[in-house]
Amino acid sequence: MQAGRRQFIAGLLATGLVPKPSWADAGSPSFLSAAALVDGTYVLCGIDAALKVTFQLSLPARGHAAAAHPSRPEAVAFARRPGTYAVVIDCVTGSQTALLQVPGGRHFYGHGAFSSDGHLLFTTENDFEAGRGRIGVWDTRAGYRRIDEWDSGGVGPHDIKRLPNTETLVVANGGIDTHPDSGRTTLNIPTMRPNLTYIEAGAIVEVAEPTPPMHKNSIRHLAVNAEGQVAFGMQWQGDGAAPMLVGTHVRGQEMVLLDTPLDHLRDMRGYVGSICYADHDDTIAVTSPRGGIIQFYDARSGQLKKSRPLPDVCGAAASADGILLTSGTGALSFMTGGQQTVSRTESASWDNHLIPL
Amino acid sequence: MKRYLFAAALICAPVAAAADPSVSDIIDGHILPRFDALASTSQDLAQTAQQDCDPTSTDLRAAYGAAFDAWISASHLRFGPTEVDDRAFALAFWPDSRGATPRSLATLIADQDPIAANVETYSDVSIAARGFYALEFLLYDATLMQEGTSDYHCTLVRTVAGDIAATATAIYDDWTGGHADVLLSPGPTATYRSEEEVLQEMLRALTAGLQFTSDSRLGRPLGTFDRPRPKRAEAWRSGRSASDVKLSLESLQDLASRLAVTDPQVAEQLTREFNDALDKLEAVNDPVFASVAKPQSRLKIEVVQQAVDTIRTTVQTELGPTLGVAAGFNSLDGD
Repeated sequence: MQAGRRQFIAGLLATGLVPKPSWADAGSPSFLSAAALVDGTYVLCGIDAALKVTFQLSLPARGHAAAAHPSRPEAVAFARRPGTYAVVIDCVTGSQTALLQVPGGRHFYGHGAFSSDGHLLFTTENDFEAGRGRIGVWDTRAGYRRIDEWDSGGVGPHDIKRLPNTETLVVANGGIDTHPDSGRTTLNIPTMRPNLTYIEAGAIVEVAEPTPPMHKNSIRHLAVNAEGQVAFGMQWQGDGAAPMLVGTHVRGQEMVLLDTPLDHLRDMRGYVGSICYADHDDTIAVTSPRGGIIQFYDARSGQLKKSRPLPDVCGAAASADGILLTSGTGALSFMTGGQQTVSRTESASWDNHLIPL
Repeated sequence: MKRYLFAAALICAPVAAAADPSVSDIIDGHILPRFDALASTSQDLAQTAQQDCDPTSTDLRAAYGAAFDAWISASHLRFGPTEVDDRAFALAFWPDSRGATPRSLATLIADQDPIAANVETYSDVSIAARGFYALEFLLYDATLMQEGTSDYHCTLVRTVAGDIAATATAIYDDWTGGHADVLLSPGPTATYRSEEEVLQEMLRALTAGLQFTSDSRLGRPLGTFDRPRPKRAEAWRSGRSASDVKLSLESLQDLASRLAVTDPQVAEQLTREFNDALDKLEAVNDPVFASVAKPQSRLKIEVVQQAVDTIRTTVQTELGPTLGVAAGFNSLDGD
């Protein structure tokens, strides 16, 4: 049935008689998220503005994040670190259209970003013999063929985003060295040096580093606003309570680390899981599944505005009128102005990241 | 998967009869004796090296083994004094996936670097050239135990041993000189806000210790079925690999039983699972895990790793929630 529909669409496309499929053909989802089902299998889901699941497509293993093609209803779902493959899924037909396999000596970190025209996909990877971060470059028009590989500008690159209206990539080099021979054991905590690296066409154009006392604060997850300001969430690897967990950066300027009142900072348990801009870029929202907390910061002043509990919350993404939060408990909670306005619970565990479309 | 959902359901339920293990029991019965033993055996090691620095010396190797044993038994207690100035890494730079330890030592020896003459300045060398794993190369590695002049080698052995003793002593002094009180006096503006947060730190140490033993002590030699890596086992040169797994499990079991003291069911389950892992380890009967390369015996090592992972799941999903630590799908993930 699905193959038939796919052939049918392909046939129509070949005749040039119909418009190309769009996200509307996938049920007009507003968000994507990976999830684990009660039977222990893993899926990628589309979620619409009414918090209904528009599609549910099988994944071969536990997902981490996904990347949505800017125009085609196509998503790349990444396996959880240290995965060696990612699958490209046609979200209309539900079929896998390509498989990204990293070259030997590399593994994915679970995040990727598209070029503005959708012709290229960029993936964060580990060259684990060298202990150096890499950016894989894939040609989406050639069946996601790997065509290049760049230096990520640091160790342990995790999230990657494209600045709006540019082809500039920003990479969160978490700074943590791992090698698949020792599982998830961290190898370089005394010497780790996280940074934000900006890359244009393979060239590193700017590197922003936190000052030395912060060198054990791993920069992991990113959000960018319409003006190209980058917000980042950190994970503390040092002893005791984290000194801070959220920061912002604008190219050409110094990093700003947001001061969180001590009690609220401790509530996050040293760990930010996801970060996003919301309320037309007025707010930065961060989640901590370990603390079961969402915090909302004023994006301009950097002041903490509100804090809300939600057990095992991790995924966070904004839409025009609010922010959707997802949890490992299955909860989908839509908040406007820091107050929950709509909520539902699916019998699934929503995985780390929610991707806005 | 069901386990996660079940655990997630549990954390939403009110905690029945809040567990209340004793922080002072854990400090006096678990933490202080281990760092005391580490400091005293390390001082012994430094003194023995002064008397006899020949790498094949029976006395020196025995003193080294005793101090290393003490470290393995304390190696999961990674908070407070061990983290000041990266002391734990200075004692134990391992796993060393890129061979930094033998490379740093070979460079020191080739250069006859005078930094090795003095314990006080030795802390400025690469952290990879310090600690128990570096000393293992100097005492047991077929190449490095013979490299350079015997005088320089002797100096290096004495200095590395002296540096270990200084680090171990500093950790113990910090524990007795104030850090035990930090754990015993939580408060709104203190390092720990509540006794629950102190216990959560202990729980983290337990979980991280189990993961390290599974991922590194067992996972490294196992490699993959197609490519087993016996030479990646921990301290195989000195024949310690299986013994280190045993020492770590025994120590983690001691901590787990103290944390589970008010929940007899979880305590009993943990006792059963630790004993099972230790029994399976004994059945491997291979001190350096060389048998990972043979399918039959490899399986025996894989089942030890699975048994350790079972304990970790129990700690996270059963013990964790009794100490106020959510055992959710995302909160356990860490990425």
